[in-house]
Amino acid sequence: MNRIEERLKENKVKKKKSFITYITAGLPDMEGMKGLIHTQELAGVDVIELGVPFSDPVADGEVIQKASQKSIEQGTNIKGIFQAVKQLRQEGSQVPLVFMMYYNTILTYGITEFVKSCKTTGVDGLIVPDLPMEEQQELQEALEQEEGPILIQLVSPVSKDRIKFIVKKGKGFIYCVSSMGVTGGGSFYNKVKDYLMEVRKSTDLPIMMGFGIKEPKDVEPYMDVIDGAIVGSHFIRLMEESSYNRNKAKEYIENFKAQL
Amino acid sequence: MTESKKGYYGAYGGQYVAETLMNTLKELEEGFEQAMKDPSFLEEFHYYLSQYVGRETPLYFAERLSKKYGTKIYLKREDLNHTGAHKINNVIGQILLAKRMGKTRIIAETGAGQHGVATATGAALFGMECEVYMGAEDMERQKLNVLRMELLGAKVVPVKSGSNTLKDATNQAIRTWAARAEDTFYIIGSAVGPHPYPKMVKTFQSVISKEAKKQHFLAEGKLPERVIACIGGGSNSIGMFANFLEEEKVQLIGVEAAGKGLDTKEHAASMAKGKPGVLHGMKSYLLSDEDGNVQLAHSISAGLDYPGVGPEHAYLKDIGRVSYVSVTDVEAMDALMELSREEGIIPAIESAHAVAYALKLAKELSEEESMIVCLSGRGDKDVHTIADYLSGKGYQN
Repeated sequence: MNRIEERLKENKVKKKKSFITYITAGLPDMEGMKGLIHTQELAGVDVIELGVPFSDPVADGEVIQKASQKSIEQGTNIKGIFQAVKQLRQEGSQVPLVFMMYYNTILTYGITEFVKSCKTTGVDGLIVPDLPMEEQQELQEALEQEEGPILIQLVSPVSKDRIKFIVKKGKGFIYCVSSMGVTGGGSFYNKVKDYLMEVRKSTDLPIMMGFGIKEPKDVEPYMDVIDGAIVGSHFIRLMEESSYNRNKAKEYIENFKAQL
Repeated sequence: MTESKKGYYGAYGGQYVAETLMNTLKELEEGFEQAMKDPSFLEEFHYYLSQYVGRETPLYFAERLSKKYGTKIYLKREDLNHTGAHKINNVIGQILLAKRMGKTRIIAETGAGQHGVATATGAALFGMECEVYMGAEDMERQKLNVLRMELLGAKVVPVKSGSNTLKDATNQAIRTWAARAEDTFYIIGSAVGPHPYPKMVKTFQSVISKEAKKQHFLAEGKLPERVIACIGGGSNSIGMFANFLEEEKVQLIGVEAAGKGLDTKEHAASMAKGKPGVLHGMKSYLLSDEDGNVQLAHSISAGLDYPGVGPEHAYLKDIGRVSYVSVTDVEAMDALMELSREEGIIPAIESAHAVAYALKLAKELSEEESMIVCLSGRGDKDVHTIADYLSGKGYQN
C-alpha cells in the first residue's frame, strides 16, 4: 500500500486527524531541507508536500512564489530533488512525500521517465495544480502502467457539479481548496462549510483542507467534516523568519497535531 | 476548422488551469458560443468595429515598394485602427461578451502596453472598472502607455515577480482572475491561454482576413499568392490567416522574432527553437530550459517578446499549413526604415518583422504574383525605442 494511503487510513481508524505541511524543495539548501524533513517526521507530521520550484507558479501566492524563485536561483532542479528524496529514503525516512509541482516540469522531464524516477526514489504522491481532471489522462496512464505515485485530486469551492466526477478519480485524499485564488490567501470562501459537506457526502476518502490556514483554530469550525489540514505559505513564512530553525518547525507541528 | 478534441488543435491547446477556474471557463465558453449565434451580438460587434474602431481598414497597394521589388505588395492597414493596432478588434468583442455575461470588472495583462491601452479604451467606452497588470520593468520602459491607460481611467498594477515582464503580468492576471471570477472578466490580448481564449481571439480577429480577402479580390480578381504576418502570441497572424486557411493555394507565412539571432539565447522564436510545453493554461511550443522553467524571450519589439505561442499556430506548423520563419532585430529595424521612407508609413516594430520577411521574399517573385502583409500596428509607440536603436547603430538621421 502507498505510504500516504496507509498513514491517513491508520489515522482514520484511530480517529485522529491528519496534518500536512508544505515546504519548498531546496530551501534553505538541499541538506537543510533533508534535515527539516527528518525533523518534521519525528515531530509527527503525517505527510510532507515538497514544492518543486517552477518559474511560473500561477496557483501560488506571494510567499511560495518568492520561495520558489529563491530556490531556483540557488540552483534547485528536479534531478537534484529526486537525488535528495533517494538519500532521505536511504537514511531511513518513511514519511509520506508528495510533490506539489507544475505540469511543465513533468512534460520537460518526460512523463514516463518522471513517473519511473518518482517510483525508484520514493515519491508517494503528486499534486499538479495546473492539471484539472480533463487533462490528466496522459499522466494517469503512465502512473497506472508504472504503478507509480498516486495523483491527488483537488476540488475548489466553485467546483460544484464537478465534485462527484473529481472524487471518483481520487486516491489517498481529496485536497479541498478552502479559498478562491492562490495559496496563502486571506480569507476562506464564504460558504466553505457547505462546500466541505458537499465533498464529504461524495466520498469516503479522507478530505484535507488547505489554502490560507495558519493555526489550528482556523480549521476548528470544520473539524466534524474534514480529516485534517494542510499548511503551506504560513509554514514557509515561519521557516523564513526563523532562518529555518528546526526547533520552531518541531514546536509548530507538535502543537498543531496536539490541537487537531 | 482546425479545432479537434474540444479545445484542442491537434496535440495543442487544452485547459491547463487550476480547478478553481474550470467552471469559469465553462461559463465563458457557453457565453461565447451563445453570443456568436445571436445576430444582435454580432450586429453590435460590427457596429462598434465600424463606428468606433474605424473599420474596414484599407488594403493598400504599396506602390513604390512594389515597383522597387517587381512584385505586388499589399498592406493590410490594421495600424489605422483606433488605438493604433489590431488589438482593439478583440477587445471590443471580449468586452461586449463581458457585458453580456453581467461582469462589471475587466482585467488584462499587457507587455508593451498596447493591449492594455486597447482594454482601457474599451472599458472606458462601456463604463467598466478596469485593472491592467504590467511588469514593473515594462512600466518603466513604456511610461507613455502607462499614462495613456491611466488617462483612460484604468488602474495599472505593477507586477514584481519572476522576471517582471509580460509572462509574469499574465501569471498575476490569472491569479487575480481565479480569486474574483464571479464579477471579473479577463480579457486576454493574444491567441493564447486556455480554451476558449484562442478560439475567441481568432474569431474576433478574423475580421482582418475577411476584409482582406474580399479587398484583394476586388483589386486583383484572384486570391493572393502569399499572406504574411508577424507572430508573438499570434493574434494578428491568426486573424490574418483565418479566412485563407482553407485556400490551399495561398501560402501562409508567420514571422517570429529572432531577436539577436536564433543561435543566441536572446530571441523569441518559440516555434523555431522551443518544444511542446505548458504555460498560461495551454499546451503549445514554449521556450523552457532543461528543468522545465520558462526562459525569457527577447525581441526589440515588446509585442513579440513572449516565450510561447498560440496553440493553433503550433498545430498549423506541425501539419505544414503555415510556414514559420524568423527575422532578427536588425532586419526588422531595416525594414521599418525602408517602409517609412518608401511609403510614408512608420510601422510598429512588431509589424516590421512581417515587412522584413516580405521584402526578402519579394526579390524572388514575379510581377504577376501578389502578397498581403499584415501591418498590425503603427510605430508611434516605438519612437523612443527606434531613437535608442538608431543612436546606438550610428544611423544618420
